[in-house]
Amino acid sequence: MSSRLQNLMQKQDVILNAICLLLATFFFILALSNLRWAGNFLTIDSLFMTVVCLMLAGIFVINPALWAHEHGLFAAEEKGAAPAHVDLHFEGTTKLFLAVLGSLLGLTLVEVMLAYFKVPLELMLTILMGLSIIKAALIVAYFMHLRFERLSLVLTLVPMLVVCICLLMIFFPDSFRLHNMRTYNQPVAPASHE
Amino acid sequence: MSTHAEVEHAVAADWGGGTLPYRVGHKKLGMWLFIVSDALTFSALLIGYSYVRLSSAQWATPFSFSPSILFSTTMTLCLLSSSFTMVMAVKASAHGNRRVARRWIGGTMLGGLAFLVLHIYEWSHLISEGLRPFGLSPGSKFAHEWAERWPNASPLFGATFFAITGLHMFHVFTGVLYLGGVALTIRKRTHEDVEISGLYWHFVDLVWMFVFPMIYLLSVDFGR
Repeated sequence: MSSRLQNLMQKQDVILNAICLLLATFFFILALSNLRWAGNFLTIDSLFMTVVCLMLAGIFVINPALWAHEHGLFAAEEKGAAPAHVDLHFEGTTKLFLAVLGSLLGLTLVEVMLAYFKVPLELMLTILMGLSIIKAALIVAYFMHLRFERLSLVLTLVPMLVVCICLLMIFFPDSFRLHNMRTYNQPVAPASHE
Repeated sequence: MSTHAEVEHAVAADWGGGTLPYRVGHKKLGMWLFIVSDALTFSALLIGYSYVRLSSAQWATPFSFSPSILFSTTMTLCLLSSSFTMVMAVKASAHGNRRVARRWIGGTMLGGLAFLVLHIYEWSHLISEGLRPFGLSPGSKFAHEWAERWPNASPLFGATFFAITGLHMFHVFTGVLYLGGVALTIRKRTHEDVEISGLYWHFVDLVWMFVFPMIYLLSVDFGR
């Protein structure tokens, strides 16, 4: 009975991993061919499609990779990770939290300085988003304790959120199109400038 | 070295029932799932704001550095330090010091209340200058200034501003009430309950880390 169950699980594992690997290669090939078809690769559309395809490929690789990890295929890596697992405690110390607070305040100060010096809008947007993601990661990892939780919880929560947010960005090409289609973008009315 | 049978056994032990596969209680897992869905709500709003702003011919950037940005920076400081006091509350509760935990939670609520008061003051200031959800009140100070400086500006500035900061303000408000409830009944609470309320509070802080740069800093008055 138990050996039959084990057989079934093994078969399931193999089928699931095969499907995942197939989809991963499909999306990887799609990303590569998109790069070839796009002509100019540094456009928002082509970058977006490439990144989405690569990300989906990466997501489908996760399951086989974890399976391989569990079966000891990356034994060397596991040894490297083992000592880190030992000193991961539930608690952080007050010192750690103060350090996190200090870095959050410091990053906020940098952001405000950008506004003070009136950095050009596109550059400012890029830097601000980068800093905000770092700050969010600090809060989630240390204040919300996610760094001290089990890896399976992190893998359940974070990737799907990132994927959904990235998929929401599919609207941006449309907003650029709208912007370029506006007729009053050209100075038709006599706008008085200095 | 783990053999296949051992792995199977571990998986069965985790997912066969009777244990917590994520090593996290059901309530806490529920709060995490709520946070993920709420994060999607806010990211949809922020991306909608970016969509409107990018597709508009012109976008007003009315926040001058000296009062407006410094004011909202103070609000950010309130929220960040309240996040720190919440972490200290969870730490105290983990060590079993309920009284200390209650005091730290009180500090957190003070930070949240300060944020709320400052925010409402800012809103009323902007409304009195003439900012409305869908445009500007005619004849107001903003109406004159904007007609001169941003003649083609999208009228949706107020809509995005009030919707996003308003939803965030509502989260802070409910967070303060929630923390108050936890602090009042802390004797009956387990450590997990305190930790879950902390998760919610940190999430509110986390959202502000995106609202503050996108709504305030990117709308700083760039001058002519």
